[in-house]
Amino acid sequence: MNRRLKLKSNLPYVLMALPAVFLFLVFFIIPLVYTGRYSFYNWTNYSPEISFNGLENYKAILDDSIVFTGIKNSLIYAFVTVLLQSVIGLPVAVLLNKKFRGRNFFRALFFCPAVLSTLVVGYLWKYLLSASDYGFVNQVLMGMGVEKVNFLGEGKTALAVIILTQVWQWFGWAMVIYLGNLQSISGDLYEAASIDGAGTLKQFWHITLPGLAPAIKLNLINGTIAGLKVFDIVLSMTGGGPVHKTDTILTLMFSKFSEGNYGYASAFGMVFLVVSMIVACIMLGLFGKWERRLGQ
Amino acid sequence: MRRDKVIALAAKYVFLGLLSIIVLIPIYYLVVTTFKTSIEAAVSPMGLPSRIDFSAYIDAFVKMQYPRALKNTMIITACSVTGLIIVTSMCGYVLNRKAKYKAAHVVFLLILSGMMFPYQMSILGLYKVVQQLNMMNTLWGVILIDIAIHLPLATFLIKSFVSTIPIELEEAARIDGCGIFKTFWKITFPLMKPTIATVAILDTLTIWNDFMGPLYFLQSRENDVILQEVYRNVGQFATDWTSLFPMMVLGVLPLIIFYLFMQRYIIGGVMSGSVKG
Repeated sequence: MNRRLKLKSNLPYVLMALPAVFLFLVFFIIPLVYTGRYSFYNWTNYSPEISFNGLENYKAILDDSIVFTGIKNSLIYAFVTVLLQSVIGLPVAVLLNKKFRGRNFFRALFFCPAVLSTLVVGYLWKYLLSASDYGFVNQVLMGMGVEKVNFLGEGKTALAVIILTQVWQWFGWAMVIYLGNLQSISGDLYEAASIDGAGTLKQFWHITLPGLAPAIKLNLINGTIAGLKVFDIVLSMTGGGPVHKTDTILTLMFSKFSEGNYGYASAFGMVFLVVSMIVACIMLGLFGKWERRLGQ
Repeated sequence: MRRDKVIALAAKYVFLGLLSIIVLIPIYYLVVTTFKTSIEAAVSPMGLPSRIDFSAYIDAFVKMQYPRALKNTMIITACSVTGLIIVTSMCGYVLNRKAKYKAAHVVFLLILSGMMFPYQMSILGLYKVVQQLNMMNTLWGVILIDIAIHLPLATFLIKSFVSTIPIELEEAARIDGCGIFKTFWKITFPLMKPTIATVAILDTLTIWNDFMGPLYFLQSRENDVILQEVYRNVGQFATDWTSLFPMMVLGVLPLIIFYLFMQRYIIGGVMSGSVKG
């Protein structure tokens, strides 16, 4: 009786939580289960029957060398982009934390590219970096007496400039996260340090940096996981080319999807799951170590 | 000592000034090129346009079927963000107030897992679900997906914010005879304003700029969004390439206007949304 009464009194709470839980199950958990299931099936656009075919899709993935390029590119992209964003975003945040004339203007300006669509940013830079006569970056290089570079025509430089455009677009976002964290570092610490005679650099190293640990962790972990999803920028800048050299996990998945190879694309999704799990574990492990060291 | 300070300040302005130029050049180029012919843009990419003529914008506007694409983008963003706020404010509230129950803890962990794993990996399964629900090529499909995939972070933010709302207010309302639902909507929900603003701002930015979701789930042209129109038109080869630039501007213009007016709140939203995460 008591139990029933309790359930009844809690019913409104259950009803309130239900819509979110329901949507999450239907559009997040079930798709995950489905993807796992169909990764073992021969599901294509052309065959009317969906049939079980064991590990065939996974075998096809392992046989495809482009797959490894895609995974490698996604990993390089994620790590390098996230690192460069913080390397620029963190010092800029420290500079913009103190009150001075124009501070709000600089903050607003540096964050601005993050509001633009990544797809459009990609097209824009594609024209800026073009090796045709109108490419502005090459015009500048040639003006300085350097030879023209076909940035998007070669795998290595193409991936490098893709990364740079995304650093250009998102360092302001990282900066804002660092700014938020900087506000929570007590000014007393700096006062005490300067009384003890610690210079600016020493203060940065011993107070600012450890104090920013939460934001560093957040930026690097979230940024890396987001980086593995790189898609829009590659699609607009290179379309995965030249000859698949800049393809990433998601651009390859999309082309398999467009070809109607749904089963193969599902297996690809599972590979993506494993890759992101490994990356997340490594990141969390590394940060756990760092935090323990700070704690000592 | 004073001289050192002056030099330091000057160095700071020089550095920030250089960085500003790097940020501004591409944006400036995006805007001025819309008024140039291809030849003019090739000869002087950074020069001011010789004339200000909006005919290229009108062409782009027509080619992109802009009013329809804008309407779809607005419907998707507005409905997703509203729906997200309604479902996550209730869920986050319950998960906080009823945290002592095991079920609440399990649900919280389940939803939290969604923050670690990108939904993109299960997009094929999602494709199947949307097909089975007959929601392919409907705005509703994309709206529900957007709510589901943005729900983990929003629930998390709201759940932690509810801790700062004194429970006594709710208890007082209950004693006065307010029901559970009424207490939530009349007392607690209005007090969640700061965190709801954060959720609204973060998710407006991401949902408006989401390209991949519509690409998979809105394949017919009459249902597509602004970015798909950009993709459709700009992706093609064109000799008259400067005519593509107005489309790119039209693609980012709505959010830029939003940013110009809400700049302080947007930056504040990103700040508070992230530190707690």
